[in-house]
Amino acid sequence: MKKIVFALSIILLILSCEVEGDLTRDIELSSPITENTPPIATGNFMPTSGIKVSGSAKIYLNGNQNEVRLENFSISSGPDLKVYLSKNATPTNFVNLGNLTSSTVYSIPTQVNVSSYKYVLIHCQQYSHLFAVAQLSQN
Amino acid sequence: MFSNSFSQGCSDAGICSIGNSFQTTDKELKNGIEIGSIFGTGEADVTYISPYITYTRTINEQLSLSSKITYSVARGSFGERGAFGDAYLIGNYNWKPKTNTQWSSLVGFKIPFTSSNLKINEFSLPLDYQSSLGTFDFIAGLNLNYKKWDFNTAVQIPVFNNNKNSYFKEFSNTDDFPSTNLLERKSDALFRTTYTFQTANKKFTFKPNVLFIYHLGEDSFENAFGQRETIKNSDGLTINGNIIGAYAINVKNSIELSLATPFVVREVRPDGLTRGFTAGIIYKVSF
Repeated sequence: MKKIVFALSIILLILSCEVEGDLTRDIELSSPITENTPPIATGNFMPTSGIKVSGSAKIYLNGNQNEVRLENFSISSGPDLKVYLSKNATPTNFVNLGNLTSSTVYSIPTQVNVSSYKYVLIHCQQYSHLFAVAQLSQN
Repeated sequence: MFSNSFSQGCSDAGICSIGNSFQTTDKELKNGIEIGSIFGTGEADVTYISPYITYTRTINEQLSLSSKITYSVARGSFGERGAFGDAYLIGNYNWKPKTNTQWSSLVGFKIPFTSSNLKINEFSLPLDYQSSLGTFDFIAGLNLNYKKWDFNTAVQIPVFNNNKNSYFKEFSNTDDFPSTNLLERKSDALFRTTYTFQTANKKFTFKPNVLFIYHLGEDSFENAFGQRETIKNSDGLTINGNIIGAYAINVKNSIELSLATPFVVREVRPDGLTRGFTAGIIYKVSF
């Protein structure tokens, strides 16, 4: 029993000693998109087993920049969720668009031909677990 | 006994402080505890406070075991982030001494407390802000003590990579740090020469030393397209200079100051271990 208490104390000590301040670097924000701009492609998210998700992914051309925008989106929390633009429904051939954050806009690198990517994935990179898939259809 | 707070190129400072494990506590005193804190300046505007604690148990005249736990807080333009880093388990064996010479060897492991993917407000951070590289490493070393000289050599080999870092410079508005998404790191080899001299009353000891570290290959990361990409010029030589001054309060207690800076560095250093300068204070007690 003493050993268990000791081990738990050590674990608590280790966890309680983490320091996380506020992000102090400005992150580039996307410019707002013109109202009534039609999306290039859209798709509704479907969850994988044990995950709750709602909302859709839409691809817009904003100026010269293609973007994935998440609309009415919510998902079960995960430790290291990423937004992938993918050629398949699994994360095998994809473009990593960055961390899933409170932001709803994810820029697509200019060299990417968006017409050859048919899916938006929400994927936990750290534990390699797929959370949700949106199959895109061209508008 | 001495410790080292070298300034650049070391895997989580593990391989850099390895010389300490060659030194056993006083033969009459079976236990040693060392508490230290190191201030360092890093890449761009990052600064560090890195405390650690080491416990050494002398089993007999030949064999001793050490365990060490590290912690690190990094502060810079991304903000402040700190956590426990790694645990080290090191076994040291002293070979039978000969006239003027003493060989010793060590083997050990480094076990990370994090997967090197600490974030601030969900924003991924470069390795420079991580308290650990996230690798499980094997460590082996050999030391020759000849009169007032010590020569040690060691290798630190990642045997299992649990680095889950997800930093991309493309998402960060800065080129200060290279992309290190899912970094895979190569091994390090070390060679160090130390000269020791004491004052006549043996209260003060000084140990100037020079440390050569060769990073035995180029590291790699997974780019935004899911493809592994080599980080060019991330291999190569680092040369550090270090001076340690120790004051023996009494037989059981001592205090050390350590200053270090690199003279030669690798061209690209994605591991975030670069220090422009370090200053450490260490307290040691034997019992």
